[in-house]
Amino acid sequence: MIAVAALVVAPLFAGGLSLVVHRSALLHAINLMSMGTLVAAEITITRTVLRDGPFTALDQLVYLDALSSFILFIIGAVGLACSFYMCSYMDEQVARGVIAPTRLNLFFFLFHMFLLAMVVATIANSVGMQWVAIEATTLATTFLIAFWRRRESLEAGWKYLILCSVGISLALFGVVLTYYSSLHVLGDVSQALNVTQLLPVADRLNPHVLKLSFIFILVGYGTKVGLVPMHSWLPDAYTEAPAPVVAMLAGVLEVVAVYAILRMRTIVDHAVPSDFTGGLLALLGFASFMTAALFILIQHNYKRLFAYSSIEHMGIAMIGFGVGGPLGTFGGLFHLLNHAFAKSMAFFAAGNIHRRYHTMEIGHVQGLAAAQPWTAMALMISGLALSALPPFASFASEVHVVTALASQGVPGMPFTSTGGMVSFALSDQFGRIALTAVFLISAVLAFGGLMYRMTGMVWGTPPEGVLREETWTLGHLPVILLAGALVVFGFFLPPPIQQLLEQTTMLLVIQ
Amino acid sequence: MLQAIILVIAQVTVLLAVSPFLAGLIRKVKARLQLRRGASVFQPYADLAKLFRKQPVISTTASWVFTATPYIVFASTISAGLLVPTFISQTPMNFAGNIIALVYLLALGTFFLILAGLDAGSAFGGMGSSREAIVASLTEPAMILSIFAIALTNGSTNLSTIVHKTALLEGSLTDPSPHLMAFAALFIVTLAETGRVPVDNPATHLELTMIHEAMVLEYSGRYLALLEWAAGLKLAVFLSLIANVFAPWGIATTPAPAAMMIGVLVYLAKVAALAVVIGIIECMFAKLRLFRVTDLLGVAFILGLLGLLFFYILRS
Amino acid sequence: MQVLSYSGSQLVDLCSALLLLTCFAIVAQRRLSACVDLFALQSAFLVVTTALVAYLTGNQHLYIAAALTGVIKVIIIPRVLKKVIDRLNVKRELVMCVNVPAGLLICGGLVMLAFFISQPIIPLGFLLTRDSLAIALAIVLIGFFTMIARQKAVTQLVGFLVLENGLFLGATAATYGMPLIVELGVFFDVLIATLIAGIYTNRLQDAFDSVDTNQLTVLKE
Repeated sequence: MIAVAALVVAPLFAGGLSLVVHRSALLHAINLMSMGTLVAAEITITRTVLRDGPFTALDQLVYLDALSSFILFIIGAVGLACSFYMCSYMDEQVARGVIAPTRLNLFFFLFHMFLLAMVVATIANSVGMQWVAIEATTLATTFLIAFWRRRESLEAGWKYLILCSVGISLALFGVVLTYYSSLHVLGDVSQALNVTQLLPVADRLNPHVLKLSFIFILVGYGTKVGLVPMHSWLPDAYTEAPAPVVAMLAGVLEVVAVYAILRMRTIVDHAVPSDFTGGLLALLGFASFMTAALFILIQHNYKRLFAYSSIEHMGIAMIGFGVGGPLGTFGGLFHLLNHAFAKSMAFFAAGNIHRRYHTMEIGHVQGLAAAQPWTAMALMISGLALSALPPFASFASEVHVVTALASQGVPGMPFTSTGGMVSFALSDQFGRIALTAVFLISAVLAFGGLMYRMTGMVWGTPPEGVLREETWTLGHLPVILLAGALVVFGFFLPPPIQQLLEQTTMLLVIQ
Repeated sequence: MLQAIILVIAQVTVLLAVSPFLAGLIRKVKARLQLRRGASVFQPYADLAKLFRKQPVISTTASWVFTATPYIVFASTISAGLLVPTFISQTPMNFAGNIIALVYLLALGTFFLILAGLDAGSAFGGMGSSREAIVASLTEPAMILSIFAIALTNGSTNLSTIVHKTALLEGSLTDPSPHLMAFAALFIVTLAETGRVPVDNPATHLELTMIHEAMVLEYSGRYLALLEWAAGLKLAVFLSLIANVFAPWGIATTPAPAAMMIGVLVYLAKVAALAVVIGIIECMFAKLRLFRVTDLLGVAFILGLLGLLFFYILRS
Repeated sequence: MQVLSYSGSQLVDLCSALLLLTCFAIVAQRRLSACVDLFALQSAFLVVTTALVAYLTGNQHLYIAAALTGVIKVIIIPRVLKKVIDRLNVKRELVMCVNVPAGLLICGGLVMLAFFISQPIIPLGFLLTRDSLAIALAIVLIGFFTMIARQKAVTQLVGFLVLENGLFLGATAATYGMPLIVELGVFFDVLIATLIAGIYTNRLQDAFDSVDTNQLTVLKE
């Protein structure tokens, strides 16, 4: 398949080329071309998957089904948006002297490697290769996060590197355990980690080993997703990294890590009742959602605010997957998509604000509507979308999750095993109502926190010395497109995306 | 009966004969590693002979404890030696006591040595005694735990039974993980109990560091000879314990003369090898500060504990 | 895939226990360069274990893994770390949040935990050596603990590498190694991660005049 090869070759080629090219216009052109190829390849692949179902390519190395196509779609969409945004963002940074022109090469090289690692993680057939690729994303991004080389960014980069590497190492132990269980059944050394080999025999794999393995994988990749309590690197990294990098981290990398967990879940659920995985996911989901909602209230740095909002939304998606069923799973997947769009937009806006105001303190940013009307619009739209208000698609996805939660409740496994009282409280209708109430309260808290901070930033008069105009740049294009998509998806999902989401849901819900 | 008496005499002879040799060997290895020629391996025999001929000098403040201690230490160590299999797995005195008796016989010697260090009334003696008390109280639990780990894996606290059983398995390792833990713990304990380098330095008379040497500083003549010999014996007892519990291969399992001859040779080779290892360690590592000794003995304690718990958790 | 012979599996167990032993030595060790040496020693034991498993099972690709471990973890990574240490000029004893005896006790507890966790799956393994998987998990946990308990950037790195050794032991002794391509990828990742962390320590030293990660407190709520 040419399209599959293009997925890997385009970023690889672009990365190599970025190292030798020195003119920034060329670098951007290479970047856009590579992203364009990526998107085109994805569209071809998605059409093939929708028409013919899952397929393998490149001698069993690559496995593509609806789930991976869906993730590829998010990578492509957000990646393309980022590339357009970078055109204006990076050039201005170079012009202002923040980045030495020679370091622009390095930036683009790492960016392409980051993309490559994510694509490989998504299309790899082998769970082991997937691990290698996800660890590679850590390695590629740590210098992107510390790109400003200030004390704070070094600190954030170091924390990110160490915490994620350790977390991911735990996931490797999970992979080893999976391999251990599959060897008994498959006996084929080289293929025993392949999803295509694991899926057909999944119900014969040893449930004890798989349970243990899933816990390790959930904790490991959960660190990368930024689920509470493994989230402590995330706000720091999101605050310090350059805006396009954060947009990719928040919009795409989290989704890829979630994908790794979901992929593993499709295997584990065959051998273990899906209550087990669902319960764990919902547990971490609730922990993240509630913690992040509280932390949103006390933030005074807008990038940190969005960082916690990311944790919150990953929590919501996890609750959706944890509750499971067609409704919850669909909601979770749709929420991943909406969050990727809304959050990357929010960070684009944050990047614009930082360039103009030179501060990340919310208190020092005022009168955005006057200073940067376009950015103010983008900030408001992304804020409203992140608060899941009605005209936006995130409202629809959150409603799916809540409805699923209220009607099905959380699979009781981790709760019932903890003790009589809790299991009694959660075993019946009361538990469902209580959990739904907790969900709604957290959502309201997060909404209040976000809106309170944002209105403060948008209205008022800008401080002295802040320029009051916004010229149109290429960087505005992705913001408008993302905002448009968020609104349109709320009312009407384009048939291919609808189909993709439905097929993915069917993959994830195991009867 | 007669056979048993002969065996007892043989065992005592072997231990008494081999212990100065071990001390000499360690010194020789150290000298060679430090690119010195060093004294002959048999120098300690000459030293002992010389000391026995010398007139002892006794402090005027010393009580009967001071003069009795060398005999008590020597006697308790040699009795402990009778409980440990050396060249034959079934020691003739094994009815007299098990592992616990061994530990306490050695502790008895240490106890009197500490008393004697205080008794002479010199400042160094008291300092050495207090340090020895710290080390001894830290090694004791580690030693007991590691020995129990071995006892549990073999289902007996009698050393002869343990060694005999293991020797009959013909070279297969019964249970490597707990054994390795216990081995490491016992090795550290040996270094600490016999006053070897990371804990004590037998080659120094520097007041800041010495432990064992400080306690015996007031002794001279035949008393010193007895104490030195007892120290060598203690080393021999520990090395025999390690060698035969963890690697009993080659030991005589029947009292046949041929098997015993092989047993003696193999035994000599094993303890000599261990002595060489100790010599190398003495060269490679610096002596730890006294307050860091707890770290080392902490490791021994934990390893002993793990050896014991491995058995309970894994094999239950 | 054949079942290991009895004494073969005993030998593998012995080697795994040696790795665990070096872990304890690392936890008890206060000097930075000695920690690196001990890590190299541990990796050497890992090489022996891997080669042993390769020999006993006849899996040729494990020899490659053993050779790579030897080159990367016994030679290259300790050298890099030694260079970093030389440059940082840290010769003093390490400061730890937890004192050594307490740390050792905690590690003992972690070993027990590891055995407890893997207890239910050990009897299933008809191709598994008896203790290796549990020991591997124990090493992973101890590595984890070392990273938390030690505040110097380099020791955190050593902790991470110990953790990786545990993972490799798990992969080798329990499952006779992962597919070669995965193993190559993992080696690559570990090597790059170490190099990157080495670069970081230099930059942290420049920016903070310290590699004490307790100093990294600029970013907080």
